[in-house]
Amino acid sequence: MTTVHEQFAENLALHALGVLAGEEMATLEKHLAGCADCRGELERLRGDMALLALSAAGPTPPRRGRQRLMDSIAGEPRSPVAVSIKRRAWWPTLAWAAAAAMLVLSVILLGKNAQLRQRVITLQRQMTSQQAELKRGSEVLAAFTALDAMHVTLVAAKTSPQPQGKAIYLRRRGSLIFLANNLAPLPPHKAYELWLIPTNGSPIPAGIFKPDAHGSATVVNPPLVPGVEAKAFAITVEPEAGSPSPTSTPIMLGAGE
Amino acid sequence: MSAADPKGVSTDGAMMAAIRAGDQNAMALLYDRYSSIVYAVALRVLGDTGAAEDTLQEIFMQLWRNPALFDSSRGNLPAWLSVVTRNRSIDSLRKRRPETNIEEVIVSVEPDLASDTDRARALGKIRGALGDMPVAQRAVLEMAFFQGLTHTEIASKTGEPLGTIKTRIRAGLLALRKSLK
Repeated sequence: MTTVHEQFAENLALHALGVLAGEEMATLEKHLAGCADCRGELERLRGDMALLALSAAGPTPPRRGRQRLMDSIAGEPRSPVAVSIKRRAWWPTLAWAAAAAMLVLSVILLGKNAQLRQRVITLQRQMTSQQAELKRGSEVLAAFTALDAMHVTLVAAKTSPQPQGKAIYLRRRGSLIFLANNLAPLPPHKAYELWLIPTNGSPIPAGIFKPDAHGSATVVNPPLVPGVEAKAFAITVEPEAGSPSPTSTPIMLGAGE
Repeated sequence: MSAADPKGVSTDGAMMAAIRAGDQNAMALLYDRYSSIVYAVALRVLGDTGAAEDTLQEIFMQLWRNPALFDSSRGNLPAWLSVVTRNRSIDSLRKRRPETNIEEVIVSVEPDLASDTDRARALGKIRGALGDMPVAQRAVLEMAFFQGLTHTEIASKTGEPLGTIKTRIRAGLLALRKSLK
């Protein structure tokens, strides 16, 4: 014989009927969580309800109800697998969760794949464009620097050829191309040295060179620090190994335009 | 082996096991055995044959779809069906979403109501107990059970104190239990 806590006895009956609510329900639920006797009484009160339900016995359902049910069941056949609600197997849930995760992952990867494809196409276009630009630049540079290229300097008629130099300087990159013509032959163990004369500070070495038999010479991209503002360029005659600063008077000088 | 034993000797447990295995014949047998209980309770609550038929179909289809709703180790099937049907019918009557979680309803009743003989014997005693009950108490019990009225609504309707209504509901249920001892 179990003992029901009297203070909850009436509310247990109301709970069984499904009409208890609010604070009373919360209090009872809390008590039921720790009281097996009252849980047992709740189940018995539901049994009493079942007895009351049986008092309604008498009417029978129409015969069509059976066929209706069987038709519905035939439309929802089940595989012969026992299912337990109380102890639901965890692996089907896990399998569905894994399948759902794979689906989400697939969608994400498909999206990522599309992004990567687009990125590859963009990079290919950039690479093609850069290759074309590089090819053009190389061709221009090759024409300037080729030993067999013909260099012609046009001057006023009836004027003897004079030494000329042309410096093309791109400050932001520190790039420099220098072309010279009609240079005089050098003494032994000497070389021409090109100087970048900054707006502030001492001349900066910008390449050592010797002219060919026709007096032509080229200096391409000597090691210069980007960003140096050039006031002028100059050429001096220096020892073959070059000098850190000019040791002679410039034989050619040109300021920026 | 099918649970639809022509001799009618299959137990409720065997029927439910067969239903869990997808045996449609077992479902037909279950319907033949308990549809009248489900229908009668639904009709008493809803007062409409069409609505009662729909509830009947719904209850059995739920059991077909998920036989584990009923745990045969923790109750008896006709009693469980009666209570579940009453609760679902009240939800329908009061136009509210199904609030009762069917699988959580555990019904404990002493007599075995599986056979027609057992149920007939129990029904006689139950009706006797209801007949012996004071009219006011029986009215309160039936308002709470078949109409789904809350104790507050019953108190308001009858003019009786709330405490009296609570007491009568519990006492009425215990009287039914005692009648079968």
